[in-house]
Amino acid sequence: MFRVTDEAVAGAPEALRLVSVSKVYGRGGGDETAVKALDGVTLSLPTGTFTAVMGPSGSGKSTLLQCAAGLDQPSAGLVVVAGAQLAGNSEAELTRLRRQRIGFIFQQFNLLPTLTVLQNVLLPSKLAGTKINRAKAVSVLERLGLGQRLRHLPAQLSGGQQQRVAIARALVTEPEVVFADEPTGALDTRSAREVLGLLTQAVRDYGRTVVMVTHDPVAASYADQVIFLADGRLAGALQRPTAEEVAERMTRLGAWDAEDSPVAAHGVGV
Amino acid sequence: MFQLTTRSLVKRPGSFVAGFLAVFFGAAMVMAFGSLLDTAGEPGVPDQSKETLETMAFVVGGWGLALVVFAVVSTMSLTVRQRAREMALLKSIGATPAQVRRLVVGETVALAALAAVAAIVPAMGLGQLLFEALKETGQVDEGVSHAFGPVAITMGMVNAMVAAVVGALITARRATAMRAAEAMADASGAGGDEPLMGRARWVLTLLALLATAGSTTAVLTVLDGEGTDVMTGAGPAVVAASVTMALLAPVLLRGVTLALGWALRLLGGVSGELAVRNVRQRTGELARAVAPVALFTGTAAGTLSMQRVENLRLRADGLVADESSQTMETMNYVVVGIIVAFCCIMLVNTLVSATSFRRREFGQQRLAGATPRQVFLTVGLEALLVAGTGIVAGLVAAGVGLLPFGQARADAWVPDDGWVWVIQGAVVAVAFLVTLAASIGTARRVVRRSSAVEAALAA
Repeated sequence: MFRVTDEAVAGAPEALRLVSVSKVYGRGGGDETAVKALDGVTLSLPTGTFTAVMGPSGSGKSTLLQCAAGLDQPSAGLVVVAGAQLAGNSEAELTRLRRQRIGFIFQQFNLLPTLTVLQNVLLPSKLAGTKINRAKAVSVLERLGLGQRLRHLPAQLSGGQQQRVAIARALVTEPEVVFADEPTGALDTRSAREVLGLLTQAVRDYGRTVVMVTHDPVAASYADQVIFLADGRLAGALQRPTAEEVAERMTRLGAWDAEDSPVAAHGVGV
Repeated sequence: MFQLTTRSLVKRPGSFVAGFLAVFFGAAMVMAFGSLLDTAGEPGVPDQSKETLETMAFVVGGWGLALVVFAVVSTMSLTVRQRAREMALLKSIGATPAQVRRLVVGETVALAALAAVAAIVPAMGLGQLLFEALKETGQVDEGVSHAFGPVAITMGMVNAMVAAVVGALITARRATAMRAAEAMADASGAGGDEPLMGRARWVLTLLALLATAGSTTAVLTVLDGEGTDVMTGAGPAVVAASVTMALLAPVLLRGVTLALGWALRLLGGVSGELAVRNVRQRTGELARAVAPVALFTGTAAGTLSMQRVENLRLRADGLVADESSQTMETMNYVVVGIIVAFCCIMLVNTLVSATSFRRREFGQQRLAGATPRQVFLTVGLEALLVAGTGIVAGLVAAGVGLLPFGQARADAWVPDDGWVWVIQGAVVAVAFLVTLAASIGTARRVVRRSSAVEAALAA
């Protein structure tokens, strides 16, 4: 069961809130093998915003996304999605909560290979047993330029097209938050730009909330704000970021050696 | 290449378990029957005993051999198929088709050799058991003692190697014929556009069909009314008919899915729809699970019920005294039981291996919003289609053997004995339960162990 906390309901429209979220892998109790992937992360994201999460490898950004999206259980702390707390539930209950409130976009698309484009987009509503709005699914797919591809299988599409199908699938149920894990990681520059444009559009025009994990400063520059993570802790934020600013900050966090920086050699790492 | 072979065997033993088990059980069975020939070859064995031992080894061991070849080839090709992505990767970094083939065959030979050697000790026990049963029923002289020697080991090793290499070659040919890009796309699991059954498979089906027709004709003509000899034609007929059905599995599964898809959708809702979709898109893959169900149902229902008719006949003819007729019956069931048990093991082996391989797909369903229960229901409904197709095919194969046998042995096409139907019913129940339990049980384990996250992100 999820509880609607009074506190969350009373606040301003808030899509996602994390309160002191920690995640420890391995055995606890001071064991040497235990790894603290997240260490007391607290943040709040208003509805209708586009946030990028960045950090060096192993900084805990994927763990953050998985805990926030209910794909993994935090070891401690609270996760609240649009007023509903994600915690201590069974897998089936978590699934129900996820499919009502959360949409996903992955680097590897994760479309079901045996279903057509349209069937993939309709699947979440079918699984949830909600009324299936076929016309809406078709119109979302048309808007994403896939009107001619409704009956194709994912394997018959390019990477960029598959990712657009995944976006349609994530948006069609009108979730409170869309989580995107390296959504452009497997795409060429042009398809990546298209995908980022679509995510921005979902936020601007349709008021969705998007949280995107990425390691690409250019991708991050499409967001309203960038949150930086290092060693499982928040390490600052940037509003209205540019790719250069993001790259510089990443370099300072030790994500890259100066010469490896994807944008330019901006000074030397710490 | 040799280094790659040993590394991949040592570093990922899990993906080779199914192939190992198939060769292991197959070789054990072949060696057990082969040891009867070793025994017959010992000096001082009376002619009568020698003949019994040789007949048993050739006739019964012969059907067993056909089953083992089929089972090992099918499992080996499944194991290799599961690594299509890895092969595509090898090709993409510049491995020639010949190199890929060498890798696959090398691995398979090493694996089959290990499994066959490991099978020697259990085969000694199994051979001893068979021999004791023969001795106890007075078919072999008291003075003869069991020998396990070169014939048994050679038969087992050669059989295991040949079956394993053929299985590996068949699949390696498929993997290497594809261009690297195609292979990558194929590995994504969409199911290719290739026809349901290749030319080679049709040819084999035709051969199996001819063998079925040949043995059935023999049963109805030369063997008609020939007493205990009828079984020497009817036994192979059942096995040949079962193998025919197993080879036809893709076509049968497609047909059954087309015919019953609507009912499943009606009953299972979205899970039913997913199940039907999966089976339709991946008929070839799921047919690998239909084959052992058909083989098990066909051989078990066919041989066990023929044995029942045979036993009744023996008793009616008063050929054997009442007490020893009991032991004779037990003995016959021991022999048939070994074959049936082998088929059952293969069934579980195939299903567990095929289902474990679908881990990522289950994760994707979970991520699209399916609860664990919805995933299990989908798997269960697929298993229902697989089991249903295999069982019907198996019963047809059993009938192809049983009806002419009844006519030739007891002058009645349809046996006039309730127990025959009880046996068939029991076989159907076992096939059904084993298929469902193995599929859903494995799916449960896979879905549990991998949370949705793991499966999706291990892309």
